[in-house]
Amino acid sequence: MLIPVKAPVASLGDDERSLIARVVAGDRTAARVLYDAHAARVHRLAYRICRDPGLADDLTQDVFVQVFRKLETFRGDSSFSTWLHRVTVTTCLNTLRKVNRHASRERELDESHHGFAVPAESDGGDLRQALTQAIDGLPDPLRVPLVMYHLEGFSHGEIGEALGIAEGTSKRRVFDARARLRVALAEHQEAP
Amino acid sequence: MNIDDPRLDRLLDAAAAEYRVPEAPPLDAIWDRIDAELAVRPIVAARRWSAVHWLATGGAIAAALILGVFIGRRSAPTAPAVTVAALAPAAPAVPSTDPYQRATDELLGRSAVLLASLSPDAKHVGPGVGALVADQGVQLLNTTRLLLDSPVGTEPRMRALLEDLELVLAQVTRLRDNDPPDDLLLIHDALDQHDIVPRIRSAVARNALRYN
Repeated sequence: MLIPVKAPVASLGDDERSLIARVVAGDRTAARVLYDAHAARVHRLAYRICRDPGLADDLTQDVFVQVFRKLETFRGDSSFSTWLHRVTVTTCLNTLRKVNRHASRERELDESHHGFAVPAESDGGDLRQALTQAIDGLPDPLRVPLVMYHLEGFSHGEIGEALGIAEGTSKRRVFDARARLRVALAEHQEAP
Repeated sequence: MNIDDPRLDRLLDAAAAEYRVPEAPPLDAIWDRIDAELAVRPIVAARRWSAVHWLATGGAIAAALILGVFIGRRSAPTAPAVTVAALAPAAPAVPSTDPYQRATDELLGRSAVLLASLSPDAKHVGPGVGALVADQGVQLLNTTRLLLDSPVGTEPRMRALLEDLELVLAQVTRLRDNDPPDDLLLIHDALDQHDIVPRIRSAVARNALRYN
């Protein structure tokens, strides 16, 4: 039987550990509280990584179902939100790989070090619009660390942990992504 | 005109609030779907493999591999080739010495052993183990990708298996020493969701029969 869950979100101040213990014990109201506390950010992160609103909905669902099922194994070595976001990124990237398997195989980092132009439709638009398109034009191995670092506020250590790369690699990828953005935006500004 | 770092930083700061912000995501509807899933399979009933269960599965994999090798050796051609040709003149002769097939069998065997070594009940990835496993994972991942682009990858069932194996091995390559158990559980979830280990067993058995 489904528990009615227009949740008592007011209990957000609950100690997270006890909330987690309640969820593990099967309390779906506690699960809803935990969901309400984190769902918006998980959804936004999923949307920013996969850029498809419907897919972001599905990924958010998958992430929370996975997390609730594995919650009993969560030992608190890292914060719950760090763990949750790592699961989010892993789930999103696995899905992206599956969806774009053939494309992603050809889109290796070393494949092209040249810059790219912001698509023509941005000409004449403002710089922020051009930036959005330039970010979208980055290859995933550069775009995801850039989005996580600059737009979502993750540290390079957290990005490295989530993506399975070294902290230095995360820094280098963000650096490379910024270099490409500068080229793309300069081209945009110089366009008639 | 160049975009200098401070200007790019300002643009990115603004983008943090503006870049692909979902408009009113249907969080309540998503929760309803989650809640329905949890109702079907309650959280408290989430399965954790016991050491015994895992040992039994590992044993089954090992037994299947040994059986495959045994069948292969027992049925290796000992009679002159002309006898084989006389018995099955119309069959397309695919030599068991096909290098792609040998590479596939070796990949599947090594992958099964590697995956069996990752216990989901471990408290963390042991010291020295993460790097070793990740290193093996990289080798197997490279082989998997090569095989996907080889004639082996044209067979639909094998291709699907290799593609799923590729995803799991990509996760394995990220393992590091002292990683928390969550990473192992993610890998085991992927194994479970795609029935990878049973499919490896079936593929090994299929290949043993096909080429002997």
